[in-house]
Amino acid sequence: MLSVRDLGVAFGMVQPLSGVSFSVNKGETLGIVGESGSGKSLTAMSVMGLLPLSGGRITGGSVEFDGQDLTKLPERAYRKLRGGRIGLITQNPMTSLDPLQKIGPQVDDVAKLHLGLDGAEARARTEDILGTLRIPEPSLICERYPHQMSGGMKQRIVIAMALAADPDVLIADEPTTALDVTVQAQIIRLLDDLVKERDLALVLITHDMSVVAQTCDKIVVMYAGRAVEHGPVEEIFDRPRHPYTQALIACIPRGLDDATRLTGIEGTVPTVLNYPKGCPFHPRCPRAEAICATDPPEFSVAGDSAAACHFAEVANAQPA
Amino acid sequence: MPNLLEVRDLSKRFTSAGSAFRKARSMHAVNGVSFDLAKGRVIGVVGESGCGKSTLARLILRLIEPSGGAVHFDGDDLLAKSPAQMRRLRARMQMVFQDPYSAIDPRYTLARAVAEPFEVQGVTPEKPMTDEVAGLLEMVGLNPGLATSYPHQISGGQKQRVGIARALALRPSLLVLDEPTASLDVSVQAQIIGLLEDLRSDLGLTYLFISHDLSLVKYFCDEILVMYLGRVVEALPDTAAPARHPYTRTLMESTFEPDPKKRRLIAPLEGEVPSPFDLPPGCAFVDRCPNASALCRSETPALSTETGHAVACHHPI
Ligand SMILES: Nc1ncnc2c1ncn2[C@@H]1O[C@H](COP(=O)(O)OP(=O)(O)O)[C@@H](O)[C@H]1O
Ligand SMILES: Nc1ncnc2c1ncn2[C@@H]1O[C@H](COP(=O)(O)OP(=O)(O)O)[C@@H](O)[C@H]1O
Ligand code: SF4
Ligand code: SF4
Ligand SMILES: [Mg+2]
Ligand SMILES: [Mg+2]
Repeated sequence: MLSVRDLGVAFGMVQPLSGVSFSVNKGETLGIVGESGSGKSLTAMSVMGLLPLSGGRITGGSVEFDGQDLTKLPERAYRKLRGGRIGLITQNPMTSLDPLQKIGPQVDDVAKLHLGLDGAEARARTEDILGTLRIPEPSLICERYPHQMSGGMKQRIVIAMALAADPDVLIADEPTTALDVTVQAQIIRLLDDLVKERDLALVLITHDMSVVAQTCDKIVVMYAGRAVEHGPVEEIFDRPRHPYTQALIACIPRGLDDATRLTGIEGTVPTVLNYPKGCPFHPRCPRAEAICATDPPEFSVAGDSAAACHFAEVANAQPA
Repeated sequence: MPNLLEVRDLSKRFTSAGSAFRKARSMHAVNGVSFDLAKGRVIGVVGESGCGKSTLARLILRLIEPSGGAVHFDGDDLLAKSPAQMRRLRARMQMVFQDPYSAIDPRYTLARAVAEPFEVQGVTPEKPMTDEVAGLLEMVGLNPGLATSYPHQISGGQKQRVGIARALALRPSLLVLDEPTASLDVSVQAQIIGLLEDLRSDLGLTYLFISHDLSLVKYFCDEILVMYLGRVVEALPDTAAPARHPYTRTLMESTFEPDPKKRRLIAPLEGEVPSPFDLPPGCAFVDRCPNASALCRSETPALSTETGHAVACHHPI
């Protein structure tokens, strides 16, 4: 449904994103995971055609959606797609909601614009969608303003707005990061149900490996603006081959019943101003050799997954 | 081990001033909290935002005055102390905040930030100050060469280390850690947690560890207090104890494992956290609880401590 190949992004002289590839099909959830500054949001903005707004441009690669390359799409056509067949949900629901307008009309407008429904049809659709999202008393909610709602409820409304246009793809950029865990779990369950029931393709962007493990079919691990490993979620968690993926998993409290000592990663996540040469992970990598500081590693494929590490073959032999 | 900290029926009420458009309202941010913290132990306080964790921390250090209850620290009744006595006691009980920026003046070098507690307390360190500062920076895993740096020159993880160094300056026995890793990346969080584990065993520290992250609390702590709307609803005596309170179970079921083979079945949860203002009588979890009965609406369940595994619920699991 959506297929990104070797995507690169620049702002003036800096190149915060390069060599990012992934694809996602209907009824499938792809996780993009990485710590802050790894390029997750830039990836989302690129797919949504929103880079020009912040002065960025795509320097290479393609974003294929339904047979066309979106990087070549004129802005007018993009405007129909965005919030239409491709929906975006961000961490802060207020980037999508108008604080001065009631909920009902805001959701109605989406169906009017993208599906050409009239007022009554759009409202019926709005109430129907709010109902599917397990929002109690949809007709009352339609009369409320965003500030009268909790964060979790606002995020549901944003999801409703995306659904109102009957999208094929949803891109959710840290949709639950600002929410409490019980609310996060409810939103995750909701997104899961939508993927199954509506055959949506979901791109779930998160910094949280546990959320990925809970929801995704396959994942892309990003570090310093690059994809470093990708594959089916079971394979990556069972046999991570990239030292960064291995280290990232070892950083997380191993669930509720295991007290294996956490190991942090020496040093800090680089920003675009100090992305290392060669392999971006080499200053922090316990396995780095001289070549890692000079030559960027190619992807090495094993099974359905691939890792960009000079020693991915060796890594495979040693469990994390 | 004797108790380093004894908290009894501690409460804090906040009142919002009324206006022409709204009547004055009041709420219990912390409501009748009691627990003991033995020397050398780590108690975790877990709960969702707004449940009163930070207010509890500030009450314990008497940074704010309670509306009721008592706090004993190492045998001393804190509420009976004068401000001067309290200031001296505070050298032995320190707090580490979530936002490492907030505790440090951006115009101070790290050396000055770490030395500040000595000035505030009027304490002369045993060693010359520069050696003392270098020793503290080393203790938290920072290069003493950073002493002349400013906060904007270091990373978030390094700032949190500085926050910990400051807290350790006066050799406290109790650290209250209020979400010390909540704004850090996981790779850095794991470093800081490792540091706290090492400091605890090297210095024989006692921790009250506050977090919204149940996995982290289970990993790091010996005992766990679960808070909901100002009250402790369950006190897990160890981290393997199964949840008895329906809210604790909901929290556990909402906490995912980093393992796709252990996916959780997420049951839909009714309702939302009610407003803390003017809570109706009865159990605050009643509108979201699958076990709720009529009794739950009329009577607030007390924290029953009979079995050593305390739970505030009329129908525990
Ligand atoms: N408008 C911009 N101009 C220059 N650099 C940017 C811009 N937006 C993001 N970046 C840089 O790109 C990198 C990736 O950022 P982002 O995609 O926001 O990461 P994430 O969402 O994974 O936290 C960061 O180093 C960030 O500083
Ligand atoms: N100084 C204050 N004045 C009024 N209300 C407050 C004050 N501090 C905290 N509260 C309220 O008390 C409740 C508990 O807050 P807090 O202790 O910060 O919770 P937590 O740390 O668990 O997120 C919240 O509803 C909060 O809005
Ligand atoms: S290429 Fe080298 S530095 Fe990069 S992850 Fe592999 S071993 Fe580590
Ligand atoms: S007291 Fe009643 S409503 Fe409250 S948690 Fe227990 S069973 Fe549920
Ligand atoms: Mg982001
Ligand atoms: Mg707090």
